[in-house]
Amino acid sequence: MSENNHAGVTRRDFLELGLKSAAAGVVLAPGVMLYSAAEARPADEPASSKVRWGMLIDTSKCASGCDACVTACEKENGWGGPNSNEKHSNALQKSQWIRKVELRNVDTGATSSLPMMCQHCANPPCVDVCPTGASMKRADGIVLVDRHICIGCRYCMMACPYKARSFVHEELENQSVNAPRGKGCVEACTFCVHKLDRGDGTTACAEACNADGHKAILVGDLKDPNSEIAQTVAKYATTQIRAELGLNTGMRYQGI
Amino acid sequence: MKKPLFTQIEGGKGFYSLLVLLGAFILAALGSVYYMEHNGHWVTGMNNQIVWGMPHVFAIFLIVAASGALNVASIGSVFGKKMYKPLAPLSGLLAIALLVGGLMVLVLDLGRPDRLLVAMTHYNFKSIFAWNIILYNGFLAIVAVYLWTMMEKRMNRYTTVAGFAAFFWRLILTTGTGSIFGFLVAREAYNAALLAPMFVIMSFAFGLAFFMLVLFAIYKWSGRPLGDGVVQRLKNLLGVFIGAVLYFVLVYHLTNLYITERHGVEAFILRDGGIYTTLFWVGQIVIGSLLPLVLFYHPTLGKNRNLIGFGALLVILGGLAQLYVLLIGGQAYPLEIFSGYEVLHGFNEGMINSYTPTGWEISLGLGGVAFALALVAVAIKVLRFMPQSLADDAVDVHH
Amino acid sequence: MKPINKLLLLVSAVLALTLSVPAAAGDSDSSIKPVIPKALSGTKCVDDPEVMVRTHMDKLKHQRDLTLREGIRTKQFSLKECINCHVPAGQEAAVQPGEETAASGKSSEGHFCMNCHAFAGVKIDCFECHNTRPEKPAMFHPIVTPGMEATKDVHQPDSATMLNELAGSNEKTGAAQ
Repeated sequence: MSENNHAGVTRRDFLELGLKSAAAGVVLAPGVMLYSAAEARPADEPASSKVRWGMLIDTSKCASGCDACVTACEKENGWGGPNSNEKHSNALQKSQWIRKVELRNVDTGATSSLPMMCQHCANPPCVDVCPTGASMKRADGIVLVDRHICIGCRYCMMACPYKARSFVHEELENQSVNAPRGKGCVEACTFCVHKLDRGDGTTACAEACNADGHKAILVGDLKDPNSEIAQTVAKYATTQIRAELGLNTGMRYQGI
Repeated sequence: MKKPLFTQIEGGKGFYSLLVLLGAFILAALGSVYYMEHNGHWVTGMNNQIVWGMPHVFAIFLIVAASGALNVASIGSVFGKKMYKPLAPLSGLLAIALLVGGLMVLVLDLGRPDRLLVAMTHYNFKSIFAWNIILYNGFLAIVAVYLWTMMEKRMNRYTTVAGFAAFFWRLILTTGTGSIFGFLVAREAYNAALLAPMFVIMSFAFGLAFFMLVLFAIYKWSGRPLGDGVVQRLKNLLGVFIGAVLYFVLVYHLTNLYITERHGVEAFILRDGGIYTTLFWVGQIVIGSLLPLVLFYHPTLGKNRNLIGFGALLVILGGLAQLYVLLIGGQAYPLEIFSGYEVLHGFNEGMINSYTPTGWEISLGLGGVAFALALVAVAIKVLRFMPQSLADDAVDVHH
Repeated sequence: MKPINKLLLLVSAVLALTLSVPAAAGDSDSSIKPVIPKALSGTKCVDDPEVMVRTHMDKLKHQRDLTLREGIRTKQFSLKECINCHVPAGQEAAVQPGEETAASGKSSEGHFCMNCHAFAGVKIDCFECHNTRPEKPAMFHPIVTPGMEATKDVHQPDSATMLNELAGSNEKTGAAQ
């Protein structure tokens, strides 16, 4: 075989390189990218639509009365909790990025429990109605608020079918570095985008649910056929909340 | 029929007292705005469930009335009714003033009003709200040009063209305002194509009522003659508009009552909603629609100018009630997120949301109205908006 | 003299007096410059101070869109990294939004960004949302899972470096022929 101790790369090396880079996520050529969500995307690479972040919540595993996911989100993103930095707002004005809901089926009486947060729709009404474009959907499906240009009109809050968004009613300090947030802007669950971007592959709520032993929340790349979430939703029936609106949410639920 | 003579109104003690009174309301509003903006919205009654409150009720009312106030001028320029032509300059002025007042309230309630420049330079063209910003600014420009064609003698021949442009622009604008609510899929009380034309018809009624009140006040307080011919025709027109609004309200509720999914929100508004039900039946229907119709079409009461003015005021109050029920009531009724399920526990899931407006918000709303009226008062003193006489012999009452 | 000429003469005299005060005061102009707290020792700034003073606002404004809208989290112009260096953890200065004075908190030196901006009279609203201090892991991550701990200071090189690294490691092990 030919020597390959020159700077160039032979075809065989190229293939091996390709396989390795599949694990690391590297740009091989413009537009050609092998990506695995489990690894950190390189810092200078933008989010790509080849990935779609999704979350699967198994309501049969979600424990009634447990709110580990809510507490974890509060601590990770710096809102709410007993030491909330919203000192003046009343209970209805304080932010709520994620909430636990207990339901009972009206006809059968069966009860379920589930966390409710921004559904990260593929066709988000909040993005459609934002006058400045501050409410945006990132290429990989995460819906965010660009608080640099949010004018605080709250129209997105009127438009959200899930009541997922909150408005900050007072001046804040001691924000979490992961989630800058301030007076007069609207906010919602960010899908822990700071964790996903650095390669954690999961969110604070999912980690807390797993740590508590319930394992009701599963996070992953819906477009990656090898991911656990993609395989699960392909195998079992899952629902989206208010599916009739045609929003194609990134959050899927089992058991309701 | 000689051409009407337009003159400035005289000043005097009454005029300056009026400005001082309006100025007090404006200052109170500015003070409220400073307090709300400096502390944050926690000082208001608005929260994460009721995100749009009293300021928005006033703002939307003023904006809708602004578009309708231009109607009088349009009837003259577009439909060629001669009696309305001398009224056109005041109509255009009132339209601009009401819109500016409404926008003032809307912008000052933003979470970040310091980012107004961002709002005017970053546009998401899929958002009807962004389109409204463009439509509002365009309206101000078009009506200003329209006024110019009316008041500058050599431009008079362009009045018809400007009138047509203004007429179509304001129809699109009001359709856009109604669509702010009509386009929302999330909420049961909105999400209806009917809301856009309903807002257009509401604008006709509210705008004309405002115009009539302002007209009566100006002529009474400046001692100029205002004939019954003009008053009766405007009164009859307002009666027609009130009837039209009632028709749209009827169709809206009938349709919702037919749709099983909407029975919840209909029961809420029409029967179980407490303050919202009261405001709907007593405020919007009785005070805002039925009572003025009785006053206007009664053989003797309908000839009394004071009662006609009172009827116009009732229409305005009914309009505010209607917007309160639509805006706040629509948010108070919970979102139907988990259909088929009853919520045992959550964060305000499935619960009627409560809202208590604070003095700060009401003060801001009233300040917007005062600002609009102050603009009109100063303008008619400084420029020649008002015909010297609108007595029956000075206007062409039958055309 | 005509009144207008008298007025002009008076105005010029007043201006001349007031504008000559700094010069007359000698070389004590350092007393009116803002106090600039020292950055983390052993680090080098992104660029020369003169360049940074003139261009930092543009760089930050461009970077914020890259980071938020596209997820590009390069460290060179990241606000987080600026704060990590210029307001090192341990330097307790934390100027709260609205308290734009030089002396605040335990450090008498104030806050790096706020000191200059208060002096120049240029209001910024970055810190209405962003924390003025860098994060302190113990305070903000009480639930520290192994995953979080492992990736906390993950080395995220850019794609060119990664490609070279992989190509280099391939050559070292030697491709099986």
